[in-house]
Amino acid sequence: MRTDSKSWRDPVLVATVAPLAIVMLAFFVIPLVMTAVLSFQTTQFYRLTWTWDLKVWTEVFSKPHYWTIMARTVAMALVCVVICLLIAFPAAYALATRLRAYNAQIQILIIFAFLTDAVLKTFGWILVLDKSGVANWLLAHLGLGPEALNLLFTPTGTMIGMVYGLVVYPLFTIYLSLARIDRDLVLAAYDSGASRLRAFFEVTLPLSRPGLYCGAVLVFVLSLGAFLEPKVLGGGTAPLASELIRQSFETRVNWPLGAALTLVLIAIGALSLALGAAVLMRGNSGRAAR
Amino acid sequence: MTTAITNTPIIKASGIVKDYGSMRALHGVSLDIGAGEFVALVGPSGCGKTTLLKILAGFEDQTSGTLEIQGQDMQGVPAAKRPTRMVFQKLALFPHKTVSDNIGFPLKLQKVAKAEMDQRISAMLDLMHLKREYLTRYPAQLSGGEQQRVALARALISKPSVLLLDEPMSAPDAKLKKSLQAELKKLHRELGTSFVLVTHDLEEAMMLADRICVMRAGEVVQLGTPSDIYYRPANMFVAGFIGETNFLPVSVTRDGGGARVTSPLSGNDAAMIAGGQVSPFLGNDKTALLVRPETIRFVTGAAEPGEWVLSGTVEEYFIKGSSTQYRVRVPGLDKAVVMDLAGSLDLPAKVSDSVRIGFHPARSFLLSE
Repeated sequence: MRTDSKSWRDPVLVATVAPLAIVMLAFFVIPLVMTAVLSFQTTQFYRLTWTWDLKVWTEVFSKPHYWTIMARTVAMALVCVVICLLIAFPAAYALATRLRAYNAQIQILIIFAFLTDAVLKTFGWILVLDKSGVANWLLAHLGLGPEALNLLFTPTGTMIGMVYGLVVYPLFTIYLSLARIDRDLVLAAYDSGASRLRAFFEVTLPLSRPGLYCGAVLVFVLSLGAFLEPKVLGGGTAPLASELIRQSFETRVNWPLGAALTLVLIAIGALSLALGAAVLMRGNSGRAAR
Repeated sequence: MTTAITNTPIIKASGIVKDYGSMRALHGVSLDIGAGEFVALVGPSGCGKTTLLKILAGFEDQTSGTLEIQGQDMQGVPAAKRPTRMVFQKLALFPHKTVSDNIGFPLKLQKVAKAEMDQRISAMLDLMHLKREYLTRYPAQLSGGEQQRVALARALISKPSVLLLDEPMSAPDAKLKKSLQAELKKLHRELGTSFVLVTHDLEEAMMLADRICVMRAGEVVQLGTPSDIYYRPANMFVAGFIGETNFLPVSVTRDGGGARVTSPLSGNDAAMIAGGQVSPFLGNDKTALLVRPETIRFVTGAAEPGEWVLSGTVEEYFIKGSSTQYRVRVPGLDKAVVMDLAGSLDLPAKVSDSVRIGFHPARSFLLSE
């Protein structure tokens, strides 16, 4: 392996890394820097004025309204993570253990779930959650009274949409880590005297942690940026961070404010992940050596 | 055939049948294993030896037949409740647990107190010659041989009545394998636990086991002591399983317990084979004399009384150190005759030499396919 500090002089290495580096620079690093720069400017009469000013940041930190929305976004993301894992784990477990023979087909079906357009999936829920939708029709016919459910344009509706859209991520990551567990390890636990439940908690669950963590991170990050669901299914009654940012840019035409709020959301996401990682690392510090 | 065991059986398996769908993996296998006995299940892959071991362990249920361990019917008794412990082929050490937690896992499940657990783990370490500093390491940080010892320690710590070993010694390093075999034999002698070893290596089975159960296609072909298997093999399958050997086709006329044999190959006289040298499973078809490579010599002068002599040409020879192996092509035989001579500085014959080779049919063993 090439580890010497002059590897940047290697023309082959430079040539192979350059395309990715340029793309990352152009579409990730530069926009991020531009966003940061933008947040220190101000607007006057819907026009961006090039000043270096902390005005926008003062506004961000002095208005509790923004922080309520940020807190709601994080709370929704955390609830979404918990619900997604609770749904995905048993499903992935069943797929990985009971339906092992259909491994290839299952992976293809999960990938199909990824490929289905999010807009389509979200609007589909309107038909279900609407007052005259399928869910209410069904509940009414079950004798629960008309309009037993009033979910459309509520935070619960948003959550249903988010969970529905994101649950495939942990399903896939947990499925992959469960499918990788050697069956002999579970047999070894039984052989050592473990009940099925005990073997699950001693062997299967700890060994599926990579998939659980990976799925949780994906759901968390994607929920922080959830845009479609709160708009279509939440109806704007309880806006989340992405809607706030959209309004700042589009409705209020206050780009510096939008940029600042974007940075706040990114910071919250990064800090939450760092905190989560730190907690997990402390839990299994001995394993870091591997 | 000596199949009797000296003390009361700890495992009594009778008529074990195992079907996987329409495929029958075991065709009514019966096997008794004595307390403290070391039994090896030997056979080529797919012979059902591993299936039988899994049934003993409780990982699989037999389709029919009964299994008793320590006088108790094992029908519906899960692996966790059986007095057996398994060492897996790929060891199946828990990768997320330290060596100490791996070895102590069965005790943790039994809720053994911490002090006693530490003391028993420490005693196990001594028994397995494992270093104390390994306790806090993870299995992936140990060498293959050390991992095998940890797997043995985990299986033995709860003092099982029967230890099941599923080819755990398939080490790539021949020297390591030899030392593990020696250690396993010593361990068995010290502990007095019954060992059931599954292996495809009959030589390993002969080295280690008190009795060997040779299996083929889901059936027991022969059950006996290593010397039974070597000197009195039931048929050509068993005889051919242990290293290289020669089969000389002969015509048989039964004569009391013994038999009179003639070979169409040479002008030798008919030879009388005593009853003790005839396989009890002798059939009528494809009868042959089992002639071990070490019992054949080059005949330079006159033949000894009763000796059969064949003529051929040397095809190849291999100097193995303590012995020299010759392969002699004899017209009329499909395969070259293999003979092992005591090693010496001077070679008695070279490639392409015409030679006469001799052996005593009366000291050979008569069997059929």
